[in-house]
Amino acid sequence: MPDNNAAAATGARPAEAGPVAHPDTTAKWFLISAICYFFIVGIIAITIAAKFCWPELLGTVPYLSYGRLRPLHVNGMLFGWLLAADMGLAYYIVPRLCGVKLWSEKLGIATAALWNVIILGAVFALMGGYNQGLEYAELPLPLDILVVIAWIMFGINIFGTIMTRRYQQMYVSLWYIMGCILWTAFVYLTGNFATEFTSGVNQANLNWMYVHNAVGLIFTPIGLGIAYYFIPKSSETPLYSHRLSMVGFWALSFVYVWTGAHHMIHGPISQWLQTIAITFSLMLLIPVWAVVYNFFATMKGQWHQLRDNVPLKFLMSGVVFYLLTCFQGPMHSLRSVSAIVSKTDWIPGHAHMAVLGCFSFFAVAGIYYVAPRLWRTQLHSDALANWSFWFIIMGGLGFFVTLWLGGFWQGWQWNNPAIPFIDTVKALQPIWLVRFFSGVMIFLGIVMFAYNIMATVVGRKAYVQ
Amino acid sequence: MFSKADNSAAWAVGGALALFFLGGLITTVVPPLVDKSWGRPAPGLKPYTEIQLKGRAIYVREGCWYCHTQQTRTLVSDTKRSGWRGVDSPISTPDEFVYDKPHMFGTKRTGPDLSRVGGKYDTQWHRTHFRNPRDLVPGSVMPPFPWIVNDPVEFPALVAYIQTLGRAKDWRPDHDYEK
Ligand code: HEC
Repeated sequence: MPDNNAAAATGARPAEAGPVAHPDTTAKWFLISAICYFFIVGIIAITIAAKFCWPELLGTVPYLSYGRLRPLHVNGMLFGWLLAADMGLAYYIVPRLCGVKLWSEKLGIATAALWNVIILGAVFALMGGYNQGLEYAELPLPLDILVVIAWIMFGINIFGTIMTRRYQQMYVSLWYIMGCILWTAFVYLTGNFATEFTSGVNQANLNWMYVHNAVGLIFTPIGLGIAYYFIPKSSETPLYSHRLSMVGFWALSFVYVWTGAHHMIHGPISQWLQTIAITFSLMLLIPVWAVVYNFFATMKGQWHQLRDNVPLKFLMSGVVFYLLTCFQGPMHSLRSVSAIVSKTDWIPGHAHMAVLGCFSFFAVAGIYYVAPRLWRTQLHSDALANWSFWFIIMGGLGFFVTLWLGGFWQGWQWNNPAIPFIDTVKALQPIWLVRFFSGVMIFLGIVMFAYNIMATVVGRKAYVQ
Repeated sequence: MFSKADNSAAWAVGGALALFFLGGLITTVVPPLVDKSWGRPAPGLKPYTEIQLKGRAIYVREGCWYCHTQQTRTLVSDTKRSGWRGVDSPISTPDEFVYDKPHMFGTKRTGPDLSRVGGKYDTQWHRTHFRNPRDLVPGSVMPPFPWIVNDPVEFPALVAYIQTLGRAKDWRPDHDYEK
């Protein structure tokens, strides 16, 4: 496809930082909070992984039981770490792509403060057992309302900035971030408020629509917006094709929302709805390939940069994980595959590859890239950054691969009813042990990352000449 | 025309929302209108009593649903695993779950499916099991729940709820512990 329209054609680059001086206070606060939660929730993650190996660990303390720490881990990582980090990066990216200051730093700081109130509230609510009983929507109603308010504040700020922009051309990251803000509003309302008025299968259907789109229409668009910005930036290469990026955007906005029911393949939900979900799940391959092809084509001739560019290492491994996750997803939705992997330990392996392997990698890369620029200094240690990459990716691979193998094996055993259930539990013990140690490795990588950024921030005077 | 749309935020907002609502409405609002069984209770389904609801709230609070599903799927192995003494359990249907709020279908089976567990074990079994699952089932990774067993209100409530599971269909042949 030759791109001959100069305006919408190749060579799209995220705009260079103009003459505007960005205060970035909001971005800084969001990123620092996110990193703290990444570390704290990481401890919880290892704790629950350990409980699979030593089920009696902390077993007599209700607040620390598996059923309460697991939602804390999931919500903490999703909203405390990843979404906060993504929002922080959006507060950095959007003003630069628009050539103006953030619409309101004051509003932004208030949003950051509110976000921290929500996360701390979530810790107490979930450990106390105030769990609404719906996945990803565990938080009690008052906190849900605060989330909506914070999201509106975020939306006003971002849209306000875009409305006052000086650059006419909207780079693809802006599209994705705007899409994310709008879709999230409705996806979140469905998952946390519409579910209040329904029960049974009807409620489950809304719940899965939300769960699926929390990943597909919240973390995917904002994560891709970030990757579209930082891949060209950190490799100093123009994006391969603006037009292709638009194809990906529109395909994503069309197919994602239909797929929720694929969480209940073979379950008590209408067959025709399962079939719709399967069909659209397969169509997901289109936007995914459009995005991945664009990133790979951008890197053509630039792969050597991966040798010592840590943000780029995170970004491009994230892209590979994105491709893998998004290949797995449509395959899982097929009835035959679902009969084996659904409800097994394969699924956490898949979910971690999406949220940790792909989107957290993008966020970490973005933070490594922006931290020295935000605080006008150099990164504390490039070598440590490199170590953090290798720890997280090796731990991550250990985690994903063992859970796939184990989960597949588990599903295979379940399909033979002659095997007593408890034997399928015992069979997974070695898998869970490897998962625990992989988790420890990931956590060490997180510690290195967090320390590196904090040292960059705190010790920055040393570098100022 | 496209390059103009490409630079317009209004286009982005309108288009993104239109596509979203198209898929969203067809997959969430339409199905319950088409499939009446989503909202009509099964003939044998009784609303939960107060004590059963209390037990259900404990099930929600303690996150049992992160490890246990409540759905016998349309798979032979599922009907055999939820079955009882050689009798396969019936497949779960939407009309069995009309009173379930929040729904407890679950996504992960660290432990066995519980959709037909009502009547499988007696109260004494559950007491021992919740105090420490490994006393009854060596190799189990289910956490101990001493604070429930030691609570004179909570334990009977939780067991009352568990005994309702899968009862809308009268399928268990004999030796039901709770009948
Ligand atoms: C960490 C995961 C986990 C959590 C949390 C958990 N369970 Fe289990 N559960 C298991 C496993 C594994 C088994 C199978 C071994 C056994 O019977 O102990 C099991 C077995 C059971 C059984 C016996 C099922 C059968 O057909 O034999 C019941 C009933 C049960 N659990 C109820 C509960 C309730 C109620 C809760 C919440 C208070 C709960 N479980 C929380 C993992 C879990």
